[in-house]
Formats: sequence, structure tokens, C-alpha cells
Amino acid sequence: MGKTKEMNKYWRVGEPMVWLSAAALSVTLLSAIVLLIVIMVNGLGVFWPSDLQELQLKNGTRLVGQLIQTIPTADESGLRRQYKIANRDLYGLDFRWIDEAQIVSEDTPANVLALERVEHGDFYGFLKSLQPPAGHPAPATLAGLQQSLEMVAKEKDDLSELDGKLQDISYRMEQLRLELLKYDYNKVPENDPDRIEAIQEQQGLKSEFSNLIEVQTSRTAKIRQAKAMFADANGQDKEVVLADIVQAYAPNQMSKFEKSLFYFKKLVELFVGQPRESNTEGGLFPAIFGTIMLIFVMSLFSFPLGVIAAIYLREYAKEGILVRIVRIAVNNLAGIPSIVYGIFGLGFFIYGIGHTIDTLFFPERLPTPTFGTGGLLWASLTLALLTVPVVIVSTEEALGAIPREMREGSYALGSTKFQTLVRILLPMASPGIMTGLILAMARAAGEVAPLMITGVVKLAPALPIDGHFPYLHLERKFMHLGFHIYDIGFQSPNVEAAKPMVFVTTLLLVMIVLLMSSIAIRLRNKMKKRYTFGTF
Amino acid sequence: MKEVKIENPIVQVNNLRFFYPGNARALHGIDLSFPEKQVTALIGPSGCGKSTLLRCFNRMNDLIDGCRVEGEVLLDGENIYDRSTDIIELRRRVGMVFQKSNPFPKSIYENVIYGLRIAGESDKSLLDERVETSLKGAALWDEVKDRLNESALGLSGGQMQRLCIARAIAVNPRVILMDEPCSALDPKSTARVEELIGELREDFTIIIVTHNMQQAARVSDYTAFLFEGNLIEFGLTDQLFVKPRSKQTEDYITGRFG
Repeated sequence: MGKTKEMNKYWRVGEPMVWLSAAALSVTLLSAIVLLIVIMVNGLGVFWPSDLQELQLKNGTRLVGQLIQTIPTADESGLRRQYKIANRDLYGLDFRWIDEAQIVSEDTPANVLALERVEHGDFYGFLKSLQPPAGHPAPATLAGLQQSLEMVAKEKDDLSELDGKLQDISYRMEQLRLELLKYDYNKVPENDPDRIEAIQEQQGLKSEFSNLIEVQTSRTAKIRQAKAMFADANGQDKEVVLADIVQAYAPNQMSKFEKSLFYFKKLVELFVGQPRESNTEGGLFPAIFGTIMLIFVMSLFSFPLGVIAAIYLREYAKEGILVRIVRIAVNNLAGIPSIVYGIFGLGFFIYGIGHTIDTLFFPERLPTPTFGTGGLLWASLTLALLTVPVVIVSTEEALGAIPREMREGSYALGSTKFQTLVRILLPMASPGIMTGLILAMARAAGEVAPLMITGVVKLAPALPIDGHFPYLHLERKFMHLGFHIYDIGFQSPNVEAAKPMVFVTTLLLVMIVLLMSSIAIRLRNKMKKRYTFGTF
Repeated sequence: MKEVKIENPIVQVNNLRFFYPGNARALHGIDLSFPEKQVTALIGPSGCGKSTLLRCFNRMNDLIDGCRVEGEVLLDGENIYDRSTDIIELRRRVGMVFQKSNPFPKSIYENVIYGLRIAGESDKSLLDERVETSLKGAALWDEVKDRLNESALGLSGGQMQRLCIARAIAVNPRVILMDEPCSALDPKSTARVEELIGELREDFTIIIVTHNMQQAARVSDYTAFLFEGNLIEFGLTDQLFVKPRSKQTEDYITGRFG
């Protein structure tokens, strides 16, 4: 009897409910933490230069590789290891599974080298001979190789100056081509002095361009004369042009400190470097830049639009059936699949507005589109549409949460509705509005589907900001971390080799979202402190 | 019914009727005159319309969608429900202090000069002077003079209410409306505000709504008793509380209902 009483009390007090809610929270937290850990474990180790092992196999062949993982074999009779064997151009694969039973002996020889190459991924092997750049003799050792590589890199740097010049010329030539197109379109007579001048400039640039190209070709050929001969584990020779080597290192000789330095350098490259090898190697700078630009431009559109719309809805519109319908519609807008927004963006912004802009302002370039194709501007606008409901809802809630006495206090002192709004309500609502913006930004950063049809590309030829007037080119296509993940993870020809980069990119995307959110949250807390009542 | 004759009233109410949305009648034809530079208390049980009446004097009720006012309220002889009335200008002449103190989330200084700022006043020396006189007028100057630029939200409840009074008198209104200004305050703060009302009477006309009959007796010169949207009795406070003419008034002030 006493026991049932105890149980009844137990249920009445709601103890099970407390446990249930605690469990629900733990599951949520745990899944988020596990996700982060998985990404970090897989992403952070990518650039660590682990030791390279040389194996002697039972079938008489040898193998050099980096141990990736060890798992039990299918019949559970032993273990099998996965090695990264690199040398894609020789073997056709980057990874290989080896049963431990097949291994006769293993060793970590000090002289085994790893090359990071511009093409075909890494190379693992041994240096045989070196043909250093003309006039700079060097011995056929790792030090000699690195010395020669430095020389080559210096010469390549000099050459990149030429690259810049060539780019400027081709940009100017493109401008001239468009100008001449315009003359054609406007039926300017052939003997118009401006037109003649443009044609002359074009011809001048053309000959300058071909001269520079010639210089570049001959100098490149000279640089490419420096080569080195390598051998893989089985003694197969491989000649590598020094200009194609990004860096050479001997991981088995490196101390922990040197390895850390190496790791750090790779991280820096990740942030500032350009992608290589269909994006699976090199840096992510254009994608990082594109992502941040996209979020920024999106906020520029969605923030004012959402706040102003919410102000009208809450402060000015007369409460009634129409306002209620609008409010329900806005709430539902947030639930529409994002691809639908993408299609709307394509149809309305790109084919509608973009094409109209083209026919009005750039008719001479048609059928080549200028604004009538995907670009940063249209993608930002599409995302702005997608996130505006979030901003509207949170702004409305923030305005609604302000006590009535505040409005009345302001009105009672003879202020107009507008003055009350600007001086009292908006500052007080600002923390809530910021919350909306944070949610909107986080959502926009994670969207990929609508971007794929409104202007994101695998490899953008130029950044949306550069040194050519008008400096900000919102009509350009851009790169994006989210799309990058999809592209290298699921569209690249060598998925296994791209896997590390997928994790790194994911980690970076998560970090960017976290960074932007935490800045916004700090800002919000500052506002909260300023504009809300303390307890007394 | 009303036998007290007010000479040169500052606010005169003629047959005022008020309807909330849906035609719910809250005031059934009120006739009342308020003497200048005196404190008049409006008393009555909850829902009798005393707050509604008070809010008719600065047209605060306009904020309610669908409400309707009939009759006249004359301020200095002009009907404030006239079409030509500028509500902004009216509210500068009729200040208001609310039941819950509502300082803005700004500095003490900015709170006091809010009314002047929105009127476009930007002369720094005039603003400084007005802050000082208003805060002195609200008996708050000595407590806050060293921290004028700190947030008003850091003040105590009583200080906040006095700040709201300072804010109201900073624009130099003709009439100050007070809607149960002490109901959220502790006894000590209440005493200070009551004392302050006594001092303000020198310069301003005060109309105060209160639940507390002792308070009405302490601070007011005249008292009006309202019941179910009707004015039951109006007279000198001393007379009304000692010798009420109406049976309902007597029942109410002796605590038999309400």
C-alpha cells in the first residue's frame, strides 16, 4: 500500500518528465558533439606528415606508403591495413589495402621522399639523380633538391609578374572588344575617330600580347629544363620536372617540431592558396571568399528588407484578416524547400531581371549574357528571399515583446509614431532583430541547392572583387564551400583521394558559420545589456 | 449633484461619453471641471472608468483601435477633440505619469530631455539647465547629479518613478496626469512621491487616479468619485471624505464595497 502511494507521488511530482527532457537534451547535444568530433578527427589530421613505411610483400614486390587505417579482414582471421601509396600516374590508384599476412617486413627508411606535385597528386619514392637549373649546380641529395626547387620557385615568381601583365592586357582587350561591339551595334561609321583609335589600341595590345606570350613560353621552357629522376619502391623510374613540384620533404627525417611547422604551413596555404587538381589539393581561398561575400551581400539585402517589412506588419498595418494571412504566409515561406527558391531565382532574377538589364544596357553583347546568367548578385538575392521570413518573424516578435508602457511613455511626451519607433522601439528590439539575422546567416551559409542554379561554379576564373574598375563585380560567378564539398566529394573522378579535402572543407564551413554567429551573438549581448531592464 | 463651482477651470469636461470597441460604454456623460494649480483625485472601484477618463485628457485612448469619444474636453477653453487639434502639441501641454514606471533604455540625462529632443530642441546649455531644474523639481537631482550619463535602468523603483515625473515636467506642461503613480512603490518611496506631488502643485495642475483613499485624502485638494462610468460626487477633498453627500460615496470611502 505504501509502495503505490510512493509511486503515485513519483508520477505526480513529474520525475519521469524531468528525466525525459534531460534525455532529449542529451541526445541532441551528443549528436552535435559527435558530428563535430567526426569532422575534426578526419579533417584536422589531413595535413600531418606521417611517417612513410616501406613494406616487403610475400609476392616479392615492395611498397612505400602512409598508413591510413587498420581494420579486421572480412573473415576475421587477421588484420588488413589501408595505405596511401600516392604515385597516381604510375599505379592508377592512390590507396591500397594490404592484408597483414601478406607483409614480410616493414621499415621506415630515412631517405624516402614525399613530393607534393602540381599534377597527379603526391609522389613517394627515392631520389636517383638531379638535373639542377642551369648555372646553379646542386648535389643529388634532398638538400640539393630543395635548393634547386627554391631557385625554380624564384624564377617562377618572376614569371608570374609577366602573368599579371598578361592578365591586365587581356582584360583591356576584352573591354576593347566590347567597346567595338558597341560601335557596331550603334552603327557608328567606320571612320569615327574614337573607333579608329580603339582599333589601333587593340592591334597594339594584340602584338604586345603575342610578344609577351613568346617571352613567357621560352622562359617557361628554360625553367622546365631542370628535372630530377626518382624511383618508386620497386625501382621503377619516374622523371619529374622541378617546376611541377610544389615541395619535397622526407617525413621520416622530420622532428615533431618540423612536422608541426609543415602542418602550419599547409594550413596557411589552405586559407590563402588557390585550388589545384580539380580542387582536391591546394587552398580554398576563392571558396572561403565567395562564401563570406555571399553571406555578406545576402545580409545587406535581407536585413533591411525583413526589418522594414516587419515594422510595417507590426506597427502600421491594421490588424485584420489580411494581416493575419500575410503573417501565416510569411511563416510558411520559411518552410519552402530551398531548391524552389533557386528555381524562382533562376526564372525571376536571372531570366527576368537579368535578361532585361542585358537588353537595356548591354544589347551589343547579346546573345552572350552579362547579368542574364548566374552570379553572386542573383545568388545573394535568392538567399535573401529565403532568409527574409526568418528576419521578419524575429523582428515582429521583438517589437511585440516591448511593454506597452514604453510606447505610451513616448507618446505621452508628444512624440510621433515614427519618433517612437526610431528612438525607443528599434533600439529595444535590436537584440531580437540580431537573433533573426544570426539565424538567417547560419541558414544562408549552409544552403547549396539554390546556389547551384544561380551562379556557383566549380572553379571561378576571378574573384568578385579585384583591381579592375568598378572593383566589385557582383555579376561574376563565384565559388562556395558548401558546393565545394558536394563537388569534390561526389563529383570528382578520384573520390578516395578527395575524401580528406571534403572533411577539411566541411570543418572550415562549420568554423566560418560559428565565427560569424559568435560575432553576431557578442554584438547582440552588448545590445541586450544596454537596452533591457536589469533586475533589482 | 455637483455643488462645488470651479471658477476659471483649466480642464472642463462636458457630457463626455466613451465607448470601447464593440460599443461597450465606459463613460456615461461626465461633467466635471478641474481647478488650476490644484491636485484633483479621481477615485472609485476598479472598472469605474477613472483611468479611461484620465486618458481622455491627453487622448491616449486614441491608441485603441475602434474606440469612440463623444462630448467635449476643454483645455484652456479649447476642445481637444476638435478636428483641428494637434495631438502632438496637446500631449506636450498635458504630461502623464504611469502606474508602472517606464524610463526609456537611455541615460538619465537623455530620459529627462526626451520630450525636448523630439520637439527638435538641441541647444546644449538649455538642455543642461532643463535637466537640472526638472530633476530638482522631481526631488531627484541630489541622488543622480553625478551619474547623469548612466543608464536610467539602474535606478531603484522609486527613483525611476521620480525620473518619469522629471521627464514629464521637463516639457513644462499645463496639466500632469498621474495614473496610480505609487501603486508599484514601497511605502517609503510612496511617501516621497506624495511629498513631491504637494510641491508640484505650486506650478502645475495635477489630476491623479488612485486606488488608495488615504492617499487621495493626503495629497488632493479636490476629489471626484466615479462609479460604473458615472460621476457620483465631486467636491473639496476635506468635505467629501468627512461628509459625503451621496450614500454610494459614503459606502465606498468607509470600505463597505469596492
